[in-house]
Amino acid sequence: MDFAIPQDYQDLLASFRSFLEREVRPVEEFYAVQIQDDVFTEEMREAGLALRRKSAELGFYAAHMPESVGGQGLSNLGSALLVEEGAKSGLRFGAFVLGPPNPEAPNPILMDLPEHLHPKYVEPLVRAETTMCFALTEPEAGSDAQSIRTTAVLRDDEWILNGRKHLITNGARADVAVVFAVTDRDKRASGGITAFLVERGAPGFVVGKHQKTLAGDTNQAELIFEDCRVPRENMIGELGYGFASGMRFLNGGRAFIGAMCVGIADHLVRICTQYAKDRHTFGKPIGKYQAVQWMLADSALEVHAARLMTYHLAWLVDQGDYPIKESSMVKLNNTEMVNRVADRAVQIYGGMGLLTEGPVERIFRWVRMLRIVEGTSEIQRVIIARSLGL
Amino acid sequence: MNIVVLVKYIPNPEGTPEMGPDHRLKREGVEGALDPGDEHSVEAALQLAGSDGEVTLVTMGPEAAVGALRRGLSMGGHKGVHVLDDSLKGADVLVTARVLAAVVKRQAGFDLVLAGVESTDGYTGTLPMAVAELLDLPNVTFARKVEVADGTLKVERQTEAGYDEVECPLPAVVTVTAGANEPRYPTLKGIMQAKQKPMDTLSVSDLGLSAEDVKATQEVMGLEPVAAKEAGEVIEDPEEAPGRVVEFLTKAKVI
Ligand SMILES: Cc1cc2nc3c(=O)[nH]c(=O)nc-3n(C[C@H](O)[C@H](O)[C@H](O)COP(=O)(O)OP(=O)(O)OC[C@H]3O[C@@H](n4cnc5c(N)ncnc54)[C@H](O)[C@@H]3O)c2cc1C
Repeated sequence: MDFAIPQDYQDLLASFRSFLEREVRPVEEFYAVQIQDDVFTEEMREAGLALRRKSAELGFYAAHMPESVGGQGLSNLGSALLVEEGAKSGLRFGAFVLGPPNPEAPNPILMDLPEHLHPKYVEPLVRAETTMCFALTEPEAGSDAQSIRTTAVLRDDEWILNGRKHLITNGARADVAVVFAVTDRDKRASGGITAFLVERGAPGFVVGKHQKTLAGDTNQAELIFEDCRVPRENMIGELGYGFASGMRFLNGGRAFIGAMCVGIADHLVRICTQYAKDRHTFGKPIGKYQAVQWMLADSALEVHAARLMTYHLAWLVDQGDYPIKESSMVKLNNTEMVNRVADRAVQIYGGMGLLTEGPVERIFRWVRMLRIVEGTSEIQRVIIARSLGL
Repeated sequence: MNIVVLVKYIPNPEGTPEMGPDHRLKREGVEGALDPGDEHSVEAALQLAGSDGEVTLVTMGPEAAVGALRRGLSMGGHKGVHVLDDSLKGADVLVTARVLAAVVKRQAGFDLVLAGVESTDGYTGTLPMAVAELLDLPNVTFARKVEVADGTLKVERQTEAGYDEVECPLPAVVTVTAGANEPRYPTLKGIMQAKQKPMDTLSVSDLGLSAEDVKATQEVMGLEPVAAKEAGEVIEDPEEAPGRVVEFLTKAKVI
C-alpha cells in the first residue's frame, strides 16, 4: 500500500497553485468588496470567464475530460486533487476556474453524444467558451428522480420535449442543457428515461423563474419545455438509458464533491487555527482554551478521515471499479463533515463568525446546500443500506 | 542557442523560513519549490533558445533540490544537472559559485548563462557575478529584456530611473529580473514529458573539485531578527494631510 501522492500530481498541484496565486488572487482581491457583499456581478463573471479560459488553455479546467475532446484525460484522483487544491485556497474564483464539480463545466456524460457532434458541443465546453447545465430535478421529482414528468416523443426527425425542470444550476445562462425526459412511461428508470442535449435557442425552450437560495448567488433557474424541438441526433447515449448513465456520471463524480468539501474544511481549519492564536480573551489566546482546542482537533481529525476516504474512492474509480457504496459514503460523510467544521468555525470566530464581512459566514451558508444537492444525505444512507442487503 | 540556467530550490517560498540549530535555513524535510525568481530566467531561456536551441538547468542542493530541475524541465527545459554532495552542506557563495562554474564549464558549446537577480531565501545577489568571474565571462545584471542579434547580446538593464541599453559578446552571464517576462505554468503534458528528459547527478569529485575547493570560507556565528521598523503615521484626513507632511519634511530638514 502506498499513500504517497504521485510526484506528477504534486507537480501539477504546484503549477496550479502558482496559477491561483498569480492569476486568480489578484482578480479576487480586486473584487474583494463585492465578494464580501456576496454579489457576483456581470463584470466579475466576465473576469472569471477570462481566468477560466486561461485555466482551460493550461489544461486545469476540464482536465478530467478525454484528450479526444481537448481535455487532459486526467485520472479521477488527479482531478480530485485539483478540486481540493482550488477549494483549499479559499478563493471565491478558485472553484470557478476548475471543471468539476461545477455543473457549468463539461460533463463526461456528453461523451455519449454521437462522435460527429463532439466538435460542435463538447470541445467548446472544454475550452471554456461555452457552459452547460444538468437538468434532472423537477418540482415533483427530486430525490425520486425516476418520477420525472418531462416527456420526449419522436416526431419525424425531431424529439419533442414537454415539461418543467427546476433548481437547475446555471440554467439561465447555459449554452447547452443536458435534459432528462421520459421516453417510455412503463419502463421509467429501467429503460424509459433518455438524456438529450438541448441548445439554448431551441424553439420551445424557455428559461422560467430565477431561484434564489440560502447559498447566495449560485444561479438556479426553472427551465420550461413547450413542444421544444430537438434534433434527433442530439440524444445522449442509448434510448431509454439516460437515467442509468446520469447516475453513472453522478457516481463517478462523487470524489470531486468530496474533494471540494475536504478543501473547504481544510481552509476553515487553517484560518480558525490562526484566529485562535491571534484572538485574546482574559489575557490569553483563545487557542489556549481546551474548549477551542477540541473543536479544532475534531475538525482536523474529520478532515483527515474525509481526505483518505476521498482519495480511496478516486483510486477505486481509477481502477475501473464502479463503487456505489463508497461513492455514497464519501458524498454523505464529506458534505456532513464540512457543515460541522463550518459550524465550529462560526463558533470559534464568535461574533465575527456571523458578520457578513467576516471570512466564515458566507462559507457556512454555502456549504448547507451540499447536503441536499446531487442526492440528499438521506438518499445516500438509503443507498448504503441497500448495499448492506437491506 | 544553448543556454545554461542556474536554478535554486528554496524552502517554502510563501511561508516563513525556519532556521536550523546551525543558524542556517532548514532545507531538508520542509516543503520547497523552484525559486519564483528563477522561473523568470528559465522563461527567458526558453524564449531565447527557440525551437532548435537547448536549455540546461543546473542546481546544487540537497536531494529535494531535484524539484527545482523538475519544475524547469516541465516548463520546457531540455536537461538537468544536479550537484548533490554531503560536503556541500553549508556552502557559501564562493563555494557555490565554484561548483556551478565547474558544471557550466562541462557544457560544451554553451552560448549564455542565465540566473535570477538574487535568491528569495539568501538574498545575497552576488552568486552570478562570482560565477562569471570564475568563468572569465562578461556579466550583465538586472536584465529586463534580453535579445541576441548577430551573435551579440542586447540587454535592457533595469536601473532606478529607467533602463540602460547594454551590448556584450557571447558567451556571457546575465541575471534576469521578475519584470522580464511572465513565466509559463507547467502543464500536465509538460510534467509527463519532463520525466523522460535526461538528468545528471554529479558529486564534487565528478566535477574535478577538491575538498579544499568546497570548504566554506564563511562561518555563520549567530542570528538575530532584523529590528522591526516603527509603525509609520497614517493621516487619513485629506484636509489635514498636506500640512502635516510639509511639517514633517521641514522638521526632517528635507525641505
Ligand atoms: C443550490 C441547488 C442547486 C441544484 N442544482 C441542480 C442541478 O444543477 N440539476 C438538477 O437536476 N438538480 C439540482 N438541484 C436539485 C437537487 O438535486 C434536489 O433538490 C435534491 O435532489 C432533492 O430533491 P428535492 O428538493 O425534490 O427534495 P425531496 O426529494 O422532496 O426530499 C425532501 C426530503 O425528504 C427526504 N427523502 C426523500 N426521499 C427519501 C427516502 N426515500 N428516504 C428518506 N428520506 C427521503 C430527503 O432527503 C429530504 O430531506 C439543486 C438544488 C439546490 C438546492
